[in-house]
Amino acid sequence: MPVQVITGNHAAGYALSVAGEANRTARGVACGIYPITPQTEIVEYVAKFPFSKGRVVPVESEHSAIAVSMGASMSGARAFTASSANGLAYMAENFMVAGYYRLPIVMVAVNRTLGPPWNIWADQGDTLMLRDFAWLQFYCEDNQEVLDTTLLAFRLAEDQRILLPVLTCMDAFIVSHTQTETALPEQTDVDRFLPDLDLPHRMHYDEARTLGGLAWPHEGLSMRLEIDEAMKRVPDVYQECRESFTDIFGRDPGDVIQRFGTDDADLVIVASGTMATTAREVVRRRREAGEKIGLVKLKMFRPFPDVALREACQSATRVAVLDRNYAAGAGGIFWQDTRAAFQGHRDDVLIQNYLTGLCGGDVTPAVIDEILADLTARAEAGDPVWMGIETGRETLQ
Amino acid sequence: MIEIRIHGRGGQGGVTLAKLIATSRFLQGLSVQAFGLYAAERSGAPIQAFCRYSEEPISNRNLIYEPDHVIVLDPTLVGAAIVAGLKAGGWLLINSPQPPEEFASQFARNRLATVDATAIARDNNLGTRSVPIVNTALAGAVGRMLAFPLHEVCAALEHLGFKGPNLTAATRAYEELRLLESPHDVGPPGGLAAPADERRGPSILEGAGASLPALKTGQWATEQPQRRQMIPPCNHICPAGNNVQGFLNALAHDEPDEALEILLRTTPFPSICGRACPAPCMEACNRIEVDGAVNVRQMERYAGDHGQVTTEPLAERDERIAIVGSGPAGLTAAYHLARFGYRVKVVESGPEVGGLLRSGIPEFRLPEDVVAREIDRILGLGVAVETDHQIDRQALLELARDHDAVLVATGLQEQRDLQLGMDGTEAVVQGIDFLDHVHRGDARVDGEAVVVIGGGNTAMDSARSALRLGARSVRVVYRRSRQEMPAIREEIHEAAEEGVCIEMLTQPVALHEAPGDGVRRRYRLTCRRMELGEPDESGRRAPIEIPGSDFELACNRVILALGQSPDVSVFPDGTEVRENSQLLGLLETPLFAIGDLATRDGTVAGAIGSGRRAAVHIHNVLSGAQVRISEHADALRDVDVWSDEVIRADALKLHLFERQPTAEGDSLSMAARRSTFDEVHMGLEDASEAARCLSCGVCNECDLCCTYCPEGVLKRVGHHLEFDYAYCKGCGVCVTECPRSVIFMSHL
Repeated sequence: MPVQVITGNHAAGYALSVAGEANRTARGVACGIYPITPQTEIVEYVAKFPFSKGRVVPVESEHSAIAVSMGASMSGARAFTASSANGLAYMAENFMVAGYYRLPIVMVAVNRTLGPPWNIWADQGDTLMLRDFAWLQFYCEDNQEVLDTTLLAFRLAEDQRILLPVLTCMDAFIVSHTQTETALPEQTDVDRFLPDLDLPHRMHYDEARTLGGLAWPHEGLSMRLEIDEAMKRVPDVYQECRESFTDIFGRDPGDVIQRFGTDDADLVIVASGTMATTAREVVRRRREAGEKIGLVKLKMFRPFPDVALREACQSATRVAVLDRNYAAGAGGIFWQDTRAAFQGHRDDVLIQNYLTGLCGGDVTPAVIDEILADLTARAEAGDPVWMGIETGRETLQ
Repeated sequence: MIEIRIHGRGGQGGVTLAKLIATSRFLQGLSVQAFGLYAAERSGAPIQAFCRYSEEPISNRNLIYEPDHVIVLDPTLVGAAIVAGLKAGGWLLINSPQPPEEFASQFARNRLATVDATAIARDNNLGTRSVPIVNTALAGAVGRMLAFPLHEVCAALEHLGFKGPNLTAATRAYEELRLLESPHDVGPPGGLAAPADERRGPSILEGAGASLPALKTGQWATEQPQRRQMIPPCNHICPAGNNVQGFLNALAHDEPDEALEILLRTTPFPSICGRACPAPCMEACNRIEVDGAVNVRQMERYAGDHGQVTTEPLAERDERIAIVGSGPAGLTAAYHLARFGYRVKVVESGPEVGGLLRSGIPEFRLPEDVVAREIDRILGLGVAVETDHQIDRQALLELARDHDAVLVATGLQEQRDLQLGMDGTEAVVQGIDFLDHVHRGDARVDGEAVVVIGGGNTAMDSARSALRLGARSVRVVYRRSRQEMPAIREEIHEAAEEGVCIEMLTQPVALHEAPGDGVRRRYRLTCRRMELGEPDESGRRAPIEIPGSDFELACNRVILALGQSPDVSVFPDGTEVRENSQLLGLLETPLFAIGDLATRDGTVAGAIGSGRRAAVHIHNVLSGAQVRISEHADALRDVDVWSDEVIRADALKLHLFERQPTAEGDSLSMAARRSTFDEVHMGLEDASEAARCLSCGVCNECDLCCTYCPEGVLKRVGHHLEFDYAYCKGCGVCVTECPRSVIFMSHL
């Protein structure tokens, strides 16, 4: 398949477009879009794409962008959109509605710091803010993974056993605006990979129905449980989709977690996004020097792959969880879910949180080395460690 | 792996250069990265871009801290900081006309290369002369510097769609690059990129931007708004040269005195024109495209009737000026010259000052007291008048001798005739004479069948007067159709309403006496039907007789209103009498013909304009002043550009105006109209009609621009509109929102 030097945004726009085009044999594509740095090139791409059936609707805000996508999805069209940071925040009101309606929408998010203060650089806090709302979430480390995962997302979302929307994420600028060689699949192969969308609860002109109307407590409870059951089916369905993808495109899109050197690792780094790329290089170097160290890259964050994570850390005694995000009053978000996954199963493991790369900081190999030095020297796990800044001083006089 | 850092300014194509270098390596099978550092970059701001290439897949996702090479797109960026982190012995490529030796002492640790990419880009028309785009040229230079074959550089350019001049530029830079191979010494990298800052930054309580300098975002603009004033079509077309927009604007602000004062700068006869002017301004009014013209005529009348202004001479001068004729042209000239301060004497052949203003327009259109009031205003400036004083050729020469300037404004004295066969008898009377009798109160047409021949205002006035005087029937006979009738549209309409019968396409041929009935004389007027052919010299379609269509009209009187021509006998034979032409050239005294005598225009407004132009000219000649006559509305506020363009409806935002039809005002009852000479139009009760004026092309301080400015850099202080250009980014919203095209974008 042709390889081009393109940005992560270009890769995402391409994936969304060819996926939408693949539904031309059914209800086609329709969606709402709105730009925000650093995602703008994605919506520019899809806005220019010559869809055979359906159209992209530029609207006046993110709130409307997802609303239009939801309406499109409800009527059976393949729908997608893209956003970032405060744009996602503006979408928030409709975001969980898409999840609770079980609409198979795919959104590409470029992880950017939520302001204030005003900051356009990489931080995962924006998509993590929305982690509770019945969307699947995937964190990608490079262009190819963004493209592949986005295509995979449609297959996964639209599977009748899942029927939940999917978020694919990439770090602002580091992936979104960096040009690297990326393989672009042909439309014909995408057509094979993505069957026509057949939404069981789609709206029909001649069939009156209500979606999401008033529900009594027990009905609401059932609907929440229904979502949980769908979430629980994701790991298995993911594997099926992954096999099909590998088969058709000749490339493995990757497992929900990706292990490097973890089989015999004593120290394990848990990371996501481009931090995982950097951590992998450090791990590779140290393993060559004989250290028993491994990397777990968390690709899927929702549903949280606790079983796979515990499996990967079987031999670990110490785990460093890297978070390019911060939940005020609690700490890193990947760390919280990691601790919860180990609780009661592996209480012997020392799990330490490292907050690094927040607000766009550059996570270099030197930082990883510092983290490993701290992890090694610890007697016990403590509060999240803030990398790259002094802590402990009073801020208010 | 090789890492390259690029320094440039926003708009020079630094990121694309990174991509070009990366692409040239990618096409050779290497793994690559290309990216920029994004923050508050904009046109002209210093930016950095980066490129990595490697035989192995690249797993480095960090910024580049220790580049192998550095490229500088803009020589003004050269300083110690650009080599921060640059490995010893690495290349430093600078876009510069200077040879690399010039930089050797400053950058001793590095290999140096220079090329004048700016000149190459300009020669190939890449970018503009002031902002040439140098990246494709530098791609060639980089290729040579790093020992890539030229064809690999060109392949990269073509792969990204760069053709022609870009390839030429790259090739030339490849060839012209100057290299200084050996660094002078090799030491550790100096000036590493600043280490990660571990100190605490400012608290949010201090405001996160506390350490940021004020950004004068006005520097970002490539164009910025300015105010211009255009000429509204009403001002442009007014024959009197009135500032129509100006007086309407004053009325709209509830200032009738100011409105009158504005009118009096040009016309001494607002109440008269507010009744008798054909109002070409209303036909040109852009509001027609919305919901109907502004009733300028009624508003001028309102200002004239209600405004209170005292007029006085503005100076006292010694020069003496004589004006022959006290019609509207002569009196207007007298008014202006008296205001300038000259000593003016008007000589009138008839018994009354005012000429046709008194007698030519009947009371029901123009009441006597209105005329008297406006003439008194002029006389009140100290203008001397002699009535019953006819001027002949000799007397004219004497006037020229005894005065510093002479204006001849005798109007149109000769009335056209139609050889009907009974001229000179009681049967036929000229319209002007008839109206004169009406004015004097001794016209008698009781019970008569009156035929009026002609289609102009005199014909209509005569017909309507005859009706009021008790004529049994009044019939107007006109040889063309209604469209060609020169009378004011409304007049024709009102005449028909009142019962005047208008026979179009009818040419009178002959008049014969018929047997009397013992009460009055009777006549037969033979008429012939006409049809319209091609336009003649007057521009109107020519009437063509229809043979065999003759018929007869019985009547007791025929009034001829066929138009008039000037009597130029007071000038030597062969004199070409027209405006602006110094007459009797052998005399030194400025002597001009004005008004209908010179222009044959036929309207009061035209006469006013002619009189004023002459007065201004005389004033400039006698005093050395340089008074200019402009169609512009006076600017109360600052204007950056005075445009001489007349603004049309397509330049206005018509959708912004609420629909409201033209106010017409009430008329006298039909019964009264048919039997009295009371004024037909009762005028408007207030000046709210003036608020319908769109103020085309003239700022009327509606402040929509200030309201909509998204940056808050626009505000009005009194009459002054302030643009804060230090912060105006040139978004142009003010231009889009101005309903009347006052603001425009000016390129910087």
